[in-house]
Amino acid sequence: MAVDAITETPAARPAFARDTPAMRRLSWQGAAFGAIALAACGHLLIKQGLLAAAHSASPATPMQNIFHYLIQPAVPAGLCIYGVGTLLWIRAVSRHNISFLYPLTALNYVIVSIGAKLLFHETLSFGRCIGITVVVLGVALLQLSARGDQS
Amino acid sequence: MTASVALWSSIVLGACAQVFLKRGVTRPDGREPALGIALVRSPWVLAWAACFVAATGLWLVALSRIEISYAFPLLSIGYPIVAVLSLAVLKERIALSRWIAILVITIGVAIIWRSA
Repeated sequence: MAVDAITETPAARPAFARDTPAMRRLSWQGAAFGAIALAACGHLLIKQGLLAAAHSASPATPMQNIFHYLIQPAVPAGLCIYGVGTLLWIRAVSRHNISFLYPLTALNYVIVSIGAKLLFHETLSFGRCIGITVVVLGVALLQLSARGDQS
Repeated sequence: MTASVALWSSIVLGACAQVFLKRGVTRPDGREPALGIALVRSPWVLAWAACFVAATGLWLVALSRIEISYAFPLLSIGYPIVAVLSLAVLKERIALSRWIAILVITIGVAIIWRSA
């Protein structure tokens, strides 16, 4: 991620990474879990918009398709929510070790999958649940292996 | 273009983008990168931007036709791809424990892939 570059010096930090009174009240837990929740919501909203696009008449070429998707209100809205989540994430990263925080993002796989089942009635088979659990374990292991690295 | 081609292209391009970005913001002498215009002029950073935009577009194409509870966890195959590319392009050292973690993630992705 491009996050490291902008947290180098206090002066270079954007407003959301600086110690403003409002930001001081926001704990790293609030920032991290807020970021994860917003990223999951953003992706589900994008999927909602794409489902809406699929119901309306679909143009031919892939480029036309992408344009068609981008004008579905839920798609840019989802991208924006994802963007706000990224800002919160930068805030969390500036407060706590990345090697601790990064495995938490694997929670997104769980949240998005459960959300997809509840909202879009997707099939969450036993095999898919096992696969997601194994991936989450792998991401946690990946970060354990980063303990020795510079955070 | 089939939906699965769009999905896998998006995942691979997204992983390549990360490695290009890392290469673009890392200076050989280990000093802090110059932010601003110099960074935007870097061919590696431009490659990152191009891959990122293409990956996002392909992601929309893929997601419009594939269940998100299947496609989203598959994104994690990006971790092993980035690891192998960082070994090849950036000459990063990868410890045994990290290879084990990468193997576990790959097994998880294979299980999700077979669940389709």
